Amino acid sequence: MATNRSGAAQRPNGAPQTKVCQFKLVLLGESAVGKSSLVLRFVKGQFHEYQESTIGAAFLTQTVCLDDTTVKFEIWDTAGQERYHSLAPMYYRGAQAAIVVYDITNQDTFGRAKNWVKELQRQASPSIVIALAGNKSDLAAKRMVEFEEAQAYADENGLLFMETSAKTAMNVNDIFLAIANKLPKSEGGGAGAMGARRLGDAEQPRSSSCCK
Amino acid sequence: MNEEALLARASEERERIFQRYERGRENLVGQIDPWEDPEFEEYHKTDRYGFIHDERLPQKTGVQKVNIEVEREKKWVKMLNNWDLQTTKEKLHRRIYKGIPNSLRIKVWCKLMEVNRIKSANPGKFQEMLKLAKLWSTDVRQIDSDVNRQFREHQFYRERYSEKQCSLFNVLCAYSMYNSEVGYCQGMSGLAGVLLMYMDEEDAFWALAVLLSDKKYAMHGLYIEGFPKLTRFLEHHDKILTKFMPKLKHHFDKFGLDAILYSLKWFFVCFVERVPFSLCLRVWDIYLLDGERVVTAMAYTILKLHKKAIMKLNDMDLIVNYIQVKLHKDFGFEDDIVIYHLERSMEELKRAKLDYPGPPPPNELPKRQLGTFVEPDKKSKIGQRAENFSETEKQARATVILRREKAAMELQELRVSQSDTVSEHSGVAGGIRCDDSVSALGSRRSLADTSVTSTADLSVFSSGRSHAPDNSLDTHSNVSDDATGSDGSGICGLSIQRAPSTTHSTPRATPHPPSVSPMSDDVVRIHVTYNPLAASPSHLHPISPSKYKAYNNEEHHKPVSLGFYTSNGATNLHSDNRIRIQVPSEELLTPVVDSGRIITPRFIESHSEIYDLK
Repeated sequence: MATNRSGAAQRPNGAPQTKVCQFKLVLLGESAVGKSSLVLRFVKGQFHEYQESTIGAAFLTQTVCLDDTTVKFEIWDTAGQERYHSLAPMYYRGAQAAIVVYDITNQDTFGRAKNWVKELQRQASPSIVIALAGNKSDLAAKRMVEFEEAQAYADENGLLFMETSAKTAMNVNDIFLAIANKLPKSEGGGAGAMGARRLGDAEQPRSSSCCK
Repeated sequence: MNEEALLARASEERERIFQRYERGRENLVGQIDPWEDPEFEEYHKTDRYGFIHDERLPQKTGVQKVNIEVEREKKWVKMLNNWDLQTTKEKLHRRIYKGIPNSLRIKVWCKLMEVNRIKSANPGKFQEMLKLAKLWSTDVRQIDSDVNRQFREHQFYRERYSEKQCSLFNVLCAYSMYNSEVGYCQGMSGLAGVLLMYMDEEDAFWALAVLLSDKKYAMHGLYIEGFPKLTRFLEHHDKILTKFMPKLKHHFDKFGLDAILYSLKWFFVCFVERVPFSLCLRVWDIYLLDGERVVTAMAYTILKLHKKAIMKLNDMDLIVNYIQVKLHKDFGFEDDIVIYHLERSMEELKRAKLDYPGPPPPNELPKRQLGTFVEPDKKSKIGQRAENFSETEKQARATVILRREKAAMELQELRVSQSDTVSEHSGVAGGIRCDDSVSALGSRRSLADTSVTSTADLSVFSSGRSHAPDNSLDTHSNVSDDATGSDGSGICGLSIQRAPSTTHSTPRATPHPPSVSPMSDDVVRIHVTYNPLAASPSHLHPISPSKYKAYNNEEHHKPVSLGFYTSNGATNLHSDNRIRIQVPSEELLTPVVDSGRIITPRFIESHSEIYDLK
């Protein structure tokens, strides 16, 4: 299909088109904080009380529509156990966004989240958009990590921050949307320019070139 | 918190978790959070293996099938009573491939794994390990969180702190002490969970021990740091695909789909939660009889049976979902048919001498004596994570990355060779054979040749600061742009050929032409992931849509400055057979991999290194 590439160019009829961007997003965090559940909620609108533990990594995609842009997320959901940590870099390599998840009922997972942020800041793309998600907000009665503490940490480090609940769906779509909003507009366009990819016409016959 | 406080806290946590399992469900009335223990309607939704389904089961097992199983049971009972007879050994293979009657599974499995032998040779060991675990195990928290989500749709594991949940916890904790090199690794809860559906606690513990350390199964190497056996089996799996289903392999490569993404559970837990449970049991029956070969053959069989369907899926997401989720829910073939094909696959692979990746090398076997107590170090007691990757982990990582590079390279070569063939034999039907075994073999051959000639393949990876579109790891990222085959495989390759007339320093300008036989040339190919830091200034600025297009269409093929350079240049290279790699910043000090010896990745130690290309 030789039309593939040329199809990306502006269409002559000038019809209004939605820009389609594709971003690689990785979820990181301690075991059992709800990474897979967040993804499942976001992608399929479902919640399983007992999401099977992720071995290695899982891969899913979801598309969100902003005003003038359609953002397709390629989501890499990683395993939380430390032994699988050595495989993580192959998933976050080239990622334009990351959600670092902790469990608000477990202080240790917050500490671990900070380490992941550090590792991303050190190893991942400098323009990566990082969001911090304090998950299991439906269990507020068992809260061990204060909202303000996490918010202050996120502010210091320039992270998006929300408390989420995969179970009640609170803030789940919102956090992905916030990332989607921040991505194309990221300063200097580093991530946008290098990262966002136009979708092939085979997949999105009506799409135009990248949003940047 | 100081170290002592952290130690005390970890120890308290361990005891608290242990206590809950010791007390069990009956004694925890009012102490189990509702969210931990939802109530489910079990009525008419439980299948014959004990799994509870969301909806009414579609149909009961046919009367005829039940009758067959009853008949088989009689034969099996007889056989079990005469287990050591020669006639049993003769019948065993055929009967196991037909399926062990579910009611006798426990007995047969124990016989096949010789559980009683190892158990009676180690009296009291299990209890001893369990006691030690209560005092020392550093895996308790992880085990607890996995017990809380393993097979929760099964009636045994349904209720929090049910008897079987407690058994699962005990088996895994005891094992974490018994085999201190493995401890507990996610995945093992699946193995132990299945065993406990059929066995009591102590038998399941020993069966788990057999699965990990008996050389017939040797799962130890799957679960230790760096997962060496996984790497080895995945490579073998790729080899099988390349030989028997090159089109499918090509299809996977096109989407950057490494086998590790879809097949991990095949190898780690022998297909648990990846195929329907009834089929999984049939595969386990055979696995326990014939060992490791079965996993390799089953992996091949699954892809063989579903090749057509998978080839139609043009998205990594869809492919992974199909293989991992759809096939678990509905395999689309009757169990007997799958087993028939599995047996054929085993024969087929045996004929091709690809049935077995070989016995485990020493690094996949237990080094410490099993069942001896090793006190955990402080870091793991506190639950502190390691700051840096160990050498083994770095190697594991590099190997996976390299496999992707290699796949991308093969894909690229395949594409080039296809386009070559097209230009040379345009119109000749044989030129662009759809049966890609021909072209894929070609690409495989050229790679194989690479390793036996003096060609050195050095792959340098920048340390994660690379992006699409030229990120070779991110091969799938180009695919949607590029489903049809120009060289979007994502390799930013620098090709320096020693022949004086062909000294290019142009990445990708001339992809290594397969028409030039690597046998006759000394070719240095350096594949470098795209590094935005070292890129030309224009790349540091936002790219407008039009530029992006240009980038896609043209610059894709143009040189970009790389995260390293060869200071001696091609001329010098020509004269002294050396290549000097200088890395501009410490952040780029990452693996140099000589794919002539793929398994032994190296790391650049300093900013500048010289390689002899002899």
